[in-house]
Amino acid sequence: MPELWEDLEKLPLPLQEEFHKAAKTLSLIFKEDEMASWAKEGLAISTQTARSWEAGVEYLKVSGEVAKYLSFSSFTQWTRCGAYLSQDSPSLAVAYFRAGPGIVVNLRPQHIARWAGLGRSMYKGTWKSSTLASKFFEVSPSLVRNLSFWDVEVFAGLIESLSAKSYDLANECLTLGNQALAGMGREREAFLSLCRTQTETSWREVKACFEVVDKSLPQIEESQRGRFLRLAEHLAREGSRETSVFLVSGSTALGKIKPQAQQHILDLCDALLSVSPQAVHAFLRSLDSVLSRITLAQLDTWFDRGARLIKENPEGGLAYFRVESNTSEAALESLSSSLELDRVRGVLMLYCRALSGADIEVTESSELVHKGIGWVSEGHATTEGTKVYLPPIIDRYPSKDENFGWYKVVSTHQVAHIEFGSFLFAFEKPSGLFQDTRLEREKALLAQVREDPEMKAYLRGAEGNWITDMSRYFSLLSDRKLALDVFTILEDGRLDYRVKQEYPGMKHIYHQVQESALESRPPLLELPLRQAMVELLVRFSLEQHHGLMVPRKYVKAARVLAKIQKRLHNVAASVEASAEATLRAYEILSRIPNEREPQEEWESQDFDTEEEFSEEELSKLIEEMGTGAQGEEEEEQERYESPEDIDFRGDFKPELVQTLNRMRSGQAPDGEDGSEPLTKEMLEELLRQSAELGMQNEGEDAEAMAAFAQNLMKEAGVTPPTSRPGQGYGPIVHVDEQGGALEAREPKTYVYDEWDFRAADYKPKWCIVREKTVEEGDLKFFGDTMRNYAPLINDVRRQFELAIPESFRKVRRQPDGDEFDLDAAVEAMIDRRSGITPSEKVYWFRNKQERDVAVVFLLDMSASTAEAIDEGRPMVGDQDAPDDPVEYMMWLRSRREGLVRRHYKRIIDLEKEGVALLLQALESIGDIYGIYGFSGYGRENVEFYVIKDVEESLTDNVKKRIDKISPLHATRMGPAIRHATAKLVQQEAKTKILFLISDGRPQDRGYSREGVEKEYAVHDTHMALVEARRLNITPFCLTVDKSGHDYLKAMCGDMNYEVLGDIWTLPQRLPQLYRKLTI
Amino acid sequence: MAKTAEALYNQFTIEEYFVEEEPFYLPVSDEVELFEAAYAAQVPILLKGPTGTGKTRFVEYMAWKLSQPPATAKRRSKASQNGHLIPLVTIACHEDLTASDLVGRYLLDAEGTRWIDGPLTRAVKSGAICYLDEIVEARKDTTVLIHPLADHRRVLPVEKQGLVLEAKKGFQLVISYNPGYQSAIKDLKESTRQRFIAIEFVPPPPEAEAKIIEKESGCTHRQALALAKLGEKIRNLQEHGLKEGASTRVLIYSGKLMAKGIAPRRACHVAVVWGITDDHEVQRSIEEVVSSIFE
Repeated sequence: MPELWEDLEKLPLPLQEEFHKAAKTLSLIFKEDEMASWAKEGLAISTQTARSWEAGVEYLKVSGEVAKYLSFSSFTQWTRCGAYLSQDSPSLAVAYFRAGPGIVVNLRPQHIARWAGLGRSMYKGTWKSSTLASKFFEVSPSLVRNLSFWDVEVFAGLIESLSAKSYDLANECLTLGNQALAGMGREREAFLSLCRTQTETSWREVKACFEVVDKSLPQIEESQRGRFLRLAEHLAREGSRETSVFLVSGSTALGKIKPQAQQHILDLCDALLSVSPQAVHAFLRSLDSVLSRITLAQLDTWFDRGARLIKENPEGGLAYFRVESNTSEAALESLSSSLELDRVRGVLMLYCRALSGADIEVTESSELVHKGIGWVSEGHATTEGTKVYLPPIIDRYPSKDENFGWYKVVSTHQVAHIEFGSFLFAFEKPSGLFQDTRLEREKALLAQVREDPEMKAYLRGAEGNWITDMSRYFSLLSDRKLALDVFTILEDGRLDYRVKQEYPGMKHIYHQVQESALESRPPLLELPLRQAMVELLVRFSLEQHHGLMVPRKYVKAARVLAKIQKRLHNVAASVEASAEATLRAYEILSRIPNEREPQEEWESQDFDTEEEFSEEELSKLIEEMGTGAQGEEEEEQERYESPEDIDFRGDFKPELVQTLNRMRSGQAPDGEDGSEPLTKEMLEELLRQSAELGMQNEGEDAEAMAAFAQNLMKEAGVTPPTSRPGQGYGPIVHVDEQGGALEAREPKTYVYDEWDFRAADYKPKWCIVREKTVEEGDLKFFGDTMRNYAPLINDVRRQFELAIPESFRKVRRQPDGDEFDLDAAVEAMIDRRSGITPSEKVYWFRNKQERDVAVVFLLDMSASTAEAIDEGRPMVGDQDAPDDPVEYMMWLRSRREGLVRRHYKRIIDLEKEGVALLLQALESIGDIYGIYGFSGYGRENVEFYVIKDVEESLTDNVKKRIDKISPLHATRMGPAIRHATAKLVQQEAKTKILFLISDGRPQDRGYSREGVEKEYAVHDTHMALVEARRLNITPFCLTVDKSGHDYLKAMCGDMNYEVLGDIWTLPQRLPQLYRKLTI
Repeated sequence: MAKTAEALYNQFTIEEYFVEEEPFYLPVSDEVELFEAAYAAQVPILLKGPTGTGKTRFVEYMAWKLSQPPATAKRRSKASQNGHLIPLVTIACHEDLTASDLVGRYLLDAEGTRWIDGPLTRAVKSGAICYLDEIVEARKDTTVLIHPLADHRRVLPVEKQGLVLEAKKGFQLVISYNPGYQSAIKDLKESTRQRFIAIEFVPPPPEAEAKIIEKESGCTHRQALALAKLGEKIRNLQEHGLKEGASTRVLIYSGKLMAKGIAPRRACHVAVVWGITDDHEVQRSIEEVVSSIFE
């Protein structure tokens, strides 16, 4: 040893210190000779190279710790490996040694050399590689703790091959992998294999995969994770470049379904994989939305159809799995039994209109709820007098037809409220079926409450200021909640009966619905008495009359209730009859305490009596019952709860509807003008009184009440809405190109399909066209154009005027007509004389076919129209300076101004001039015409600018708008053409023309496939033109793009088009072409 | 009444077409009195209203009614009393109807030319009720032709012959017009319009319509009532997707099918739903109405 100490003294001081420190610890572990060997190794390491003393320090530092776990031979091996590394790079050795204590705890000694080898193989002699290798040693302790050594080796191999591409990436992956792999179970192997595959194809993705994997994999059922990863690997091998995206979306999709079903989905994926790997991703992506519409069992059918399609038409199949094709939509549609309101809204609306004869709209219940005017239940059907509100989706029955039947029943019931006058209740109108007692009661009540200060509101109403007849009526009854419940039951029962009488075809289904409503009613026995009796009334109204449990002491009362209800089963029964019936039923029910009754006090009864209701029987019953519950202490009773909803009947709020109706018409209920206008305070008072809001505590939420009142007034249009324009509509829908169908939520927006030529199918609701009116500019532009082109204008006008008499010319040699065509007649006579069969075409007639043309001009307002056209071209009219001196001066001035204003002309300027000229021509010939511009960015923002609407007449405003036509964004032609077509279709003209003026090929964000296939846009445009032609519209395309020939041929097919060689001729050529086209 | 080739078909010359049997017509309001008054006062009549509201039937009915000897309605209608009968000349107007089609034209003959009277001329000569159905369909110049006939002059100039024909007593001009088709092109000229008194025809109220359907089709009373209700409901859709509601005529047709044993829903589909619109959604809604009304 002494010779060693000598050597040691030559070393740097920190090293010496470490040496001594380590020696102290090790002397307890190692034997003498082992100590010597250790010291020798340490010295050797430290002195290997100039900078290796750092490695030595590190070695000495940790050797004490390491020695605890290793036998001396393993220790030596560990040391040798470090020494070996140190020869290559001392810093590598530093990292190696530093990792030692962490490693030896978990790593089997025989693996140490291999482990060191892993790090060594990452080191390629460069600074970057040494950082990476060091990093590897750094994370190794945690790696070996969590992974099997085998996995560590694979991972290291992965990192090494990544490092061949990018050290930075490898470095990051190392850190990420350390965390991500730790959390994995058996799927780790599959994941590493996936990563390996990617190093060959898309190595950048590896990092992304590491990033997302720990978030996404746990969503999948553990046993399926490996399978899912193998699927991803397969896809990656097939060339998928977005494995990480697949991992995220795929696992999200799988995560949303039940663990048991995941295997099945993966089976489907495997099946699809062999046909079209691309479709797998699409399938998983749409899985969630598809499964929200159909069941897992139905998914197979939907999938099969797609799988078959994809074999024949890969593109179409892809679109199918993305649910971006009509075929796919249709398949889903037919499979799913649930019915969305949107799909049948039109039919239901017309149906409701037909039944009621009123302009009824059909919309979702939630819309009414959002208005905050008293309706709160989103799932219920209801009406507020002008609209029928229905739940957005029905999924009660296993088939679409049955679900539609439900919609039909529900809307028929709501319409019945309107058709059979639920809201037309008039307080003083006789009921016909009952002795009218409303007025008497009112008088009695008035006498009773006149002195009572608490009834002020009532008295104010009684002075002739009732807001509605309905509230006047309900004010008669002290328990308004009970009153409303009874009235609702009786009125709904009346309507059910009436509907079945008026619409015998509905009987069957109505019956079914009533039956199923009965099934879900609560047992009578379980209810407190008063509620049980109200429930009994519900049963009667649902036509259940047999085997009903009734408390023994109220059997008589029940019989009278049944008779009251029965009386409304009459086509002549009006809402007033329901009201009178309610008064009577209320008399009975309010006398029944809401207490529990022991079971033995109930008995089963049948109520299908033929006996008629009689007033005497009622008054006798009332007498017998005495004051009943009315006098008793409330404490013993349970709080009265309204009966459970009968869902097909929906919500019924007669008082609110009458209030709304009154506010809408702005009149008092009896139609007298001069009554006080409705104030917000009055409204609040009404709402507070009304039972329809379902407010539990009086005075609760004065704010809410005020808000209700405010909303009601807004709804009725009493106060101008204070909201900003556009509020109330959803935010601008921003969906990227991968998204699904769009929806037009704002006014003046329209949705159109788009043609995907490779899928040979439409993408449904793909584009939103937003119609805007061009803002008005200066009239000067129009005037200037007129002056600049004065000679041309005269010429054009003359040509068009000449065109008119042409249509009145004689048509000769006709089989019949106004007169003999003399020439033909003479010929015929000669023929006859000479024994030849004469022609019978010997008449002429005037062709008085009137000119009947409607035309829509569609201007390209894309950014490219801002291109300047080559300068130096003399302006039109340069040559013909006027002779007259005054005119000449003006001409000169106008020219100078023109020159000062702009030195060059843009394509759009010529388009504008052409339009201005056309206006003149069109006005002279009297055709119906519209001028529009289009541009936009993205499929959700196709802008459609109105310069002159078809219906509009030529005003100065139109002329001013021309000035403001300016280059904007991109060119998505298809939707613009479809929108223009829609405008033309509304015209009645015999000849309809769609004139498209463009400056280049259609293009827009996402208006091509993967941004490379321009054909997509061309094909969509072509399809839009074909659609127009199918609708009897003649399309014509004019382009100023000299290279237009190549794509115009594809775009227009056999339709007419012209490529304008000389842009400058556009203003002249436009009227000429139009003339040629229409005459 | 000249019936030739009786076994095969009935053929009448224009002047000899009389309405002999009483056609079924249910007056909705005072149109019968109005017609009688106008006939007596020699005022031409414009019948206005959508298709299938009974305009043509009304004219037939009036032709029959006016032919009845006053107060002796029971002794009517034997050939010997032809003198009383008023012929009914019906001309369906169409786009290509020319003045010569109405007035007459020269035809070539072996010897030269021969003049043939047009139906209008013959009606004028025989003192018939001349009914120009769907007058707006005819060309404007043709409609002007009837102007001298439709005012105090009551003459028909026959230019080609160089004649002016004075209308025989009893000649009555009736035109019909369906404002539903109104487009700018197919509208009556003011000058034509203002030569007529106008009787407006609207679909009859449900009870009356049910009576008509029952009588005409032979279906049951219940079916007739249901059909009338269907008609009423479909008319509610007018201007909401339908240009015109279901006419009484199509309701009668479905009633006839029902009377022959076709299931009511099916009868309505073929006679009403598919007939009045091609719009799928509207069809579907009407079918729903049908299935609500009929079991």
